Amino acid sequence: MNNTNEMTVSFSSNAQNEGFARMVVASFIAGTNPTLEEVSDVKTAVSEAVTNSIIHGYREKKGQVRINASVTGRKIYIEVIDEGEGIADVKKAMEPMYTSRPEEERSGMGFSFMEAFMDKIKVESGLGSGTTVKMWKEIGTAGRQFE
Amino acid sequence: MKKYDYSDGTLIYYLPKELDHYAAEKIKIGSEKVFESNDVKFLIFDFDKTLFMDSSGIGLITGRYRRVHDKGGKVYIVNVNQAIDKILKMSGIYRIIEKKETKEDIIREMVAGGYYE
Repeated sequence: MNNTNEMTVSFSSNAQNEGFARMVVASFIAGTNPTLEEVSDVKTAVSEAVTNSIIHGYREKKGQVRINASVTGRKIYIEVIDEGEGIADVKKAMEPMYTSRPEEERSGMGFSFMEAFMDKIKVESGLGSGTTVKMWKEIGTAGRQFE
Repeated sequence: MKKYDYSDGTLIYYLPKELDHYAAEKIKIGSEKVFESNDVKFLIFDFDKTLFMDSSGIGLITGRYRRVHDKGGKVYIVNVNQAIDKILKMSGIYRIIEKKETKEDIIREMVAGGYYE
């Protein structure tokens, strides 16, 4: 029997929706019985991906950011999708401290945090074709590499 | 709620419950005139009310750090919870900014440094 639970949410690319996105995902994964630290990790990763979609994907333009998430047992899978301008060089964008917009005081740590707080991430993007960030995390496996 | 306090060279930011890109932008804009019209020597980020922060918070802190550091000033962080401490550690920001348990600890250090009598 397949007991996967799924959800999809779509919202305008307004910065004020960043908090909404974190809250929705945190509520959705509650059934995996995560620790406070694990909830915080997932919220941070989602916040980074959604912020990227809003400020880099869509810039000043309006668009929709979509989150697909699923939970199977204690395994979490999250997709953050935008149809914005996309990333020309994904490898470069994922380098720690790299930012395409230094004048705006971006730290360049968004992807590093996603990688650190989730078990695995994958970024699919191309100029003009939007960006999809896929993230996996299994609750209860406690990768404590930062203690 | 008061977002910051300035007096006599010391600027304290009272950071919000959730310090993300949305909040960081508002704080940057709101405090710009304080930096323009004053000589900020000590800058304190107070995380007392803050439960969540992402990399936008790091951008906010490092951006303000540059302005204060260029003038020979010092930046402190106080009242951070465990989740935020983890992010601050990972970012490497403690190499340039000092964390203190309480604001009293900062004042004590400022007095010891001869800044206050």
